[in-house]
Amino acid sequence: MVNYIVSGLERSGTSMMMQVLYLGGMKVAFDHKRKPDEHNPKGYFELEGGKIINRLMAGTFPMEKYDGMVIKVTAYGIKYLPRGFKYKVIYMLRDLDEIIASMSKMIGEKLSNEDKKAFERLNKYALKLIEDRDDIDYITVRYNKVIENPRREIERINEFLGGFLDVDSAVKAVDPSLYRNRKEVKN
Amino acid sequence: MDEENEKNYETVRIPVTLYKKINERIKGTGFTSVSSYVTYVLREIIAEDEEEEEKFSEEDEERVKERLRALGYLE
Repeated sequence: MVNYIVSGLERSGTSMMMQVLYLGGMKVAFDHKRKPDEHNPKGYFELEGGKIINRLMAGTFPMEKYDGMVIKVTAYGIKYLPRGFKYKVIYMLRDLDEIIASMSKMIGEKLSNEDKKAFERLNKYALKLIEDRDDIDYITVRYNKVIENPRREIERINEFLGGFLDVDSAVKAVDPSLYRNRKEVKN
Repeated sequence: MDEENEKNYETVRIPVTLYKKINERIKGTGFTSVSSYVTYVLREIIAEDEEEEEKFSEEDEERVKERLRALGYLE
């Protein structure tokens, strides 16, 4: 069997992807410890109230319980994914300036350029870890491409997963009105 | 080197003794001149430095963890 993971930096569209998979009919594991809020009006779709990384770091997360299910493990948690399982990872990518703007809004404090660089390096580091592990199969998905053309991207994801998503339902999870903190493109 | 190619290069001065040592060193290698050898070595050093800059360091990790705590993703 396979453990399915949605990953990426925080605020890169991981919750949206969880919802896509949930509406698409996959078994998605999450609890309701962290309630939906203005930053994620449709919910966070997380386990352990978002603190799953702490459990992974401690080696106490029961991965075997989530066999065949989708869980969210953001980028920093990738290095703590236990061995002994087969993973399929959907890794979300989003413009870093948009991610930093969204994080700043959520924290209520403007993140610095050093913060941005650290998250940029974390992103590369997590992708390299994924690339280097032979127990991980992965696909990268760009947040803005999902917003632009949900069906095309979800069909691509469906192919990666093995073709058991209900694409018509999954597409309904994509709400372009939630694409905030959009980077201005200057002509 | 033709005139067009010349525009893509700058002259760097190195001590004569060093030049002579490099000249001896490249004999029998694929390097056709001291300049090509020095360019190769400098490119290697710069690539290493750039790789170091790209690395997710311990300092980065602490910074990220602090931010993840503020975002509610870490205890």
